[in-house]
Amino acid sequence: MKSGVKSQLAINSRFAICGLTLCLALLLCLPSGTQAAEADLKPGDTIGPNNWQRVQGMVGENLLNRIKAGYTIQIKPTKTYRPLKEYIDATEKYSGKVGLGPNGELLNYVAGQPFPKFDLNDPQIGQKLAWNFFWRWLGDDYKTGGAVKGGKIVRSVIERDGSERRADLVSYFIFPRTRYTSDPKPAIPGYEHIDYMQLRVDSYPRDAAGTTTLEIRYDDPKRPDDLYIYIPSIRRIRRATTTQRCQTLAPSEFNLDDINSFNGKVTDFNYKYLGDKKILANISQEHLPFGRKQGDYLPQDEKWEVVDTYVLEITPKDPSYCYPRKVLHLNKVTYDTHWTLIWDKRGEYWKEQFGFFTPVKLHDGREVWSVGDVVIVNVQNGRSTIVTATRAYNQGYPASMWSLATLQSIMRGGSVE
Amino acid sequence: MEQMRKKILSLLGPLLILLTTSHVQAYSIFGDEVENFLKEKVTFGGFIENTTGLSISHGDRHFNTSNRLDMQRFTIQPEFNMDMAGWAKFFISWRFVKEIRYSAEAKSRRKTVSPAANAGPLDNTFYDEDSFKPWEAVLDLFPTDLLKIRLGRQFISWGETDGIRLLDVINPQDLTFSPPAAPNLFNLDETRIPSWGLRTLYTVRPVSNTIFEFFALPGFWDQAKQRVDEVVGANDTGDLKVRYGRWSAHPETRIAFGRLFANPIGPAPVVIPSVSRQLPNAGDAWKIGTRITHNIGELNFGLGYIWGFNPQGADQVFKLIQTGPGPGGTTIARIRLVNDRTNIFAGHFNYTVGDLVGIPLKTAIRGEVAFYPDEPYNISEFPGRNCATGALTGLRAGPRCKRGVEDSDGLVEKNTLRYALGFDRSTFIPFLQDDPWRAFSMSFQIFQRIILDHEGGIRNFSTAEKIKQVSTNLTFRVGTGYLGDTILPDVFIAYDPTGYWAVNPAVSYIPPWNEKIKLTLTAATYGGRNKFGSIGLFSEKDSVFLKMRYQF
Repeated sequence: MKSGVKSQLAINSRFAICGLTLCLALLLCLPSGTQAAEADLKPGDTIGPNNWQRVQGMVGENLLNRIKAGYTIQIKPTKTYRPLKEYIDATEKYSGKVGLGPNGELLNYVAGQPFPKFDLNDPQIGQKLAWNFFWRWLGDDYKTGGAVKGGKIVRSVIERDGSERRADLVSYFIFPRTRYTSDPKPAIPGYEHIDYMQLRVDSYPRDAAGTTTLEIRYDDPKRPDDLYIYIPSIRRIRRATTTQRCQTLAPSEFNLDDINSFNGKVTDFNYKYLGDKKILANISQEHLPFGRKQGDYLPQDEKWEVVDTYVLEITPKDPSYCYPRKVLHLNKVTYDTHWTLIWDKRGEYWKEQFGFFTPVKLHDGREVWSVGDVVIVNVQNGRSTIVTATRAYNQGYPASMWSLATLQSIMRGGSVE
Repeated sequence: MEQMRKKILSLLGPLLILLTTSHVQAYSIFGDEVENFLKEKVTFGGFIENTTGLSISHGDRHFNTSNRLDMQRFTIQPEFNMDMAGWAKFFISWRFVKEIRYSAEAKSRRKTVSPAANAGPLDNTFYDEDSFKPWEAVLDLFPTDLLKIRLGRQFISWGETDGIRLLDVINPQDLTFSPPAAPNLFNLDETRIPSWGLRTLYTVRPVSNTIFEFFALPGFWDQAKQRVDEVVGANDTGDLKVRYGRWSAHPETRIAFGRLFANPIGPAPVVIPSVSRQLPNAGDAWKIGTRITHNIGELNFGLGYIWGFNPQGADQVFKLIQTGPGPGGTTIARIRLVNDRTNIFAGHFNYTVGDLVGIPLKTAIRGEVAFYPDEPYNISEFPGRNCATGALTGLRAGPRCKRGVEDSDGLVEKNTLRYALGFDRSTFIPFLQDDPWRAFSMSFQIFQRIILDHEGGIRNFSTAEKIKQVSTNLTFRVGTGYLGDTILPDVFIAYDPTGYWAVNPAVSYIPPWNEKIKLTLTAATYGGRNKFGSIGLFSEKDSVFLKMRYQF
C-alpha cells in the first residue's frame, strides 16, 4: 500500500495528499490491529463483547468469537520463568558445535538448547526454532498427570450439544540422551540414538483401561518411530505404523502429533518463521482443572497474561499428511507452545488449541513450569477436548520401564511404575 | 439346598462389592492410614453385562421357531488393583455369572444323541458361577528393574493372531458360551480360563527388548471342568453322558460317536460308543514354557518352546481304547478324547513396512509359527474292511489296517506345522467417514496347517471329513468409529477356501453423555458347502446378540 501511495505522489501531489488523508482516516476507523491491542492490555483489564477488538489476533478465532458472543476474560501480570541452570550450562557447553544438515537434521547435538543465538533473518531460522522447540527443557523424565490430583491425566470430551464423556490416562516420557539432573549424564549408555520414549496408559473407562502405547523416537531422521500397542482385550502387543500418527485419537480431537502441541518428527516437516507476536496465554494457571460450565470448555476462574512468542508455521514434506498447515506460538523463554492453529487441506480453519501452564516444584524445591490444562476445539464439527495434564518431572524412572516387558505386565487399572 | 446356596451366594457377591466400594470411595472404619491406603493405592473397576442371544437360523425339525433364545447371560466382574509398594502389586477379580438356558436345545440333544441311555443334555444352569474363588489373582513382584515375577491365577497369551488362536494355547479356552469365530461377541480374553502359576520376564537388554520369559503352570490347583473345549462333545469324567457345548455342531449335522464304525444308515447302531475324556483338560498337569524375544532394527521376534498345552477343541482326537460285546449283538467301543499333552516349538515376529519401492504400504506385518512334533490325528479305513482278508465290511469306516492287522488305537502321529501371517493397516477413507481422519483399521490374516508327513485316511473323527495335507483359513477384519466414536462398527469375516465362511458383524453404541455404557448388537453367521466340515458345522447356529455393558 505504501509503494502505491509513493507512486501516486510522483504522479500527482494533490492526489497524493488526498490519498494519504484517506488512508489515515481508514486506519483510524479500522479495528485495532494486533500491535495496538498488545500495547493497550494491562493487568486488571476485562475483555468482553464490547471491546473484543483489543485481543483480536492474540487468541484463536474460535475463542474470539466466544468473546464476541459474551465470554469475558481478565488480564493478569505476566509470570516469568527462568530456565534451569543445568539446562543453561548444557546449552553453553554444547551449542557451539551444533549445526543443521542438508535435510534440516541436527548435527553434533548433545544437550541443551541447540540454537541459543540466532539471526531472525537467517533463512534457516524456522528450522532452528523448531529444534529449539523440540529440545526445550522437559526434565530428564516426567509423568504427565503426575501432578494432577489422582495422579492421572483427566480428559473430557465435549460434543457440540454439550454432552460430555470422561477418560483417564497417564503418560510417561523419558529423554535418555539429554539428561540434565539425573545420572548418568548427558545420556544413558546404549540409548544415545533415542530422542525420547513415551508410555501412554489408558486407565478409565474400564474397557479401555490397560491399553498401552509404547512410542520410541529415534534420532536417525530416516528411521520412523516405533509404535507398540498393548491391547488388553486380547492381551497382546500390536505394532502400529506411522499412518496412525495422523489418526484422530477418538473420541478426543487430538492425534498423536498433537501431543505437546506438535509431536511430529522434526525432519519430516518444513518450517517458516512468521514473526514475533504478543498473544494471550496463561502460564500461571491457578486451578487444576480450571473451573468451567458443564458442557463447555471455557475457563471461568482463570485470568490471562500477555506473552511474547515466536510464530512458527509448519508444513509437511509428505503431501498426504493430515495437517497441511499448523502454526505454533512459541514462548520466547521456555519454547513451549501457547496457541496452536490448524488448517485443513481446503485451507479452512480446522482446529485451535491452547495450553495453560502452571508452576510445579522439582524434588529439590526449585520452581519450574508444566503444562496444566490443554484445550483443543474442532471448529468444523463443534467438538472439543480438555485434558488436565500437569507433569511431575524427574521421577528417576529406569529406562527399562519403556520396554515390551512392561507392556506384557499391565493389568487393567494398574500402574506401570 | 444347593440351589438355595447358589442364590444366597449370588446375592452376597454384589452386596460385598457394593460394601467394599463404599469403603474405598467414601469413608473408612479402619482409620486414616487404611483409608489413605485405600484411596491412594487401591483402584476399583469392573463391569456388569447382560448378553441376550436369539437364533436366526431357518430352523429344522428340532428348532422350528425363528426367534429362539439361545443365550441369556448375566455377568458381574469386579476388579481391584493394589499398588502395595514400588516392588509389589496385587490384582484380583471375580467373575459371577448367572445364565438361563433354553431347554429346547437340551431336549433336542436328548433325542438326537444316541443311544439315549448314554446321552444326556447339559444342565439348564450349566454356566452359573457363584464361587468366590478369584477369577484372576496375581501378585506382581519386581525385585529389580529388569525382573518381573507374576504369581497367581493368571492369563498368559503368546502369539500375534486375532480371533483365532494358534500359539495362544497356554490357558484353556471356554467354548461353551462363545460362538466360534465371533470375536466381536466375546473376545479371546473373555473366553480364556485363567490358570494358577508363575510367569517371569527378565529383560536382558531393555533397549533392544531382549526379554527372557519363563512360565510354569502346575495345573493341580486348577479344577478340570467339563465346559472346556465343548465344541467337541464327550462323555465326561464319570457319568458317561455325552455332552456338547452350546456351539458344538448341530446335532443333525454331526455323526454320533461310534457311527463311523457302525452302519450309518442302519436302523440301530451296531457299535455303541463309551466315550470318556482324558483329563486334564483344564490344566491339572504341568505346563512349562520359555521364550526369548529380541529386536533387530524394526523387527521384533521371539523363539520359544511350550511343553504341555491346551489344544483347541477341534484338535482333540478320539483314541480307541478297547472294544467288547454289547447288548443285542452290538459292540461297545471305548473311546477317549485325548490330546492334552504335547509340545510346541513356537516363533513369532512383527515388523512395520513403510514405503516399498516408493509405494506407501504403511503396514504392520505379524506372524507366528507353531511346530507340533508328533501331533495325534484320527486315522481310519474308509470304507471299513476286514484287515485280515481285505474284504469290505459294509461299514462306512473301520480301523486302519496295518500290515494286515487292525490298528490298535485309531491314532497316528504326524509332524505338523501351523503358521499365521497377519497384515494390519490403518486406512483413511474420507468419503465413508464423518471425520476424514478417523481411520479404518483393517486386518487380514492367513492361517495354514501343513501336515508334513501326511497320509491318506486322516480324518476328522466326528464328521469323517478328510483332513488335507494343507488346510487354509483366511480372516479379514475392519472397524472404525463414527461421531466421536459413539458408534463403532466392526466386521470379522473368516473364510475357508474349501467353501465355508463365517461373518461376525457388530455395531456398538457408546452414548456421548456416559462413557460407562456400551451397547453392542452383533451377529454370528455361518455357511458353506455342507454341514460336515470346517465352520460349516455351525451353519444352523446363526444368531444375533444384544450385549449391554456398564463399566464401573
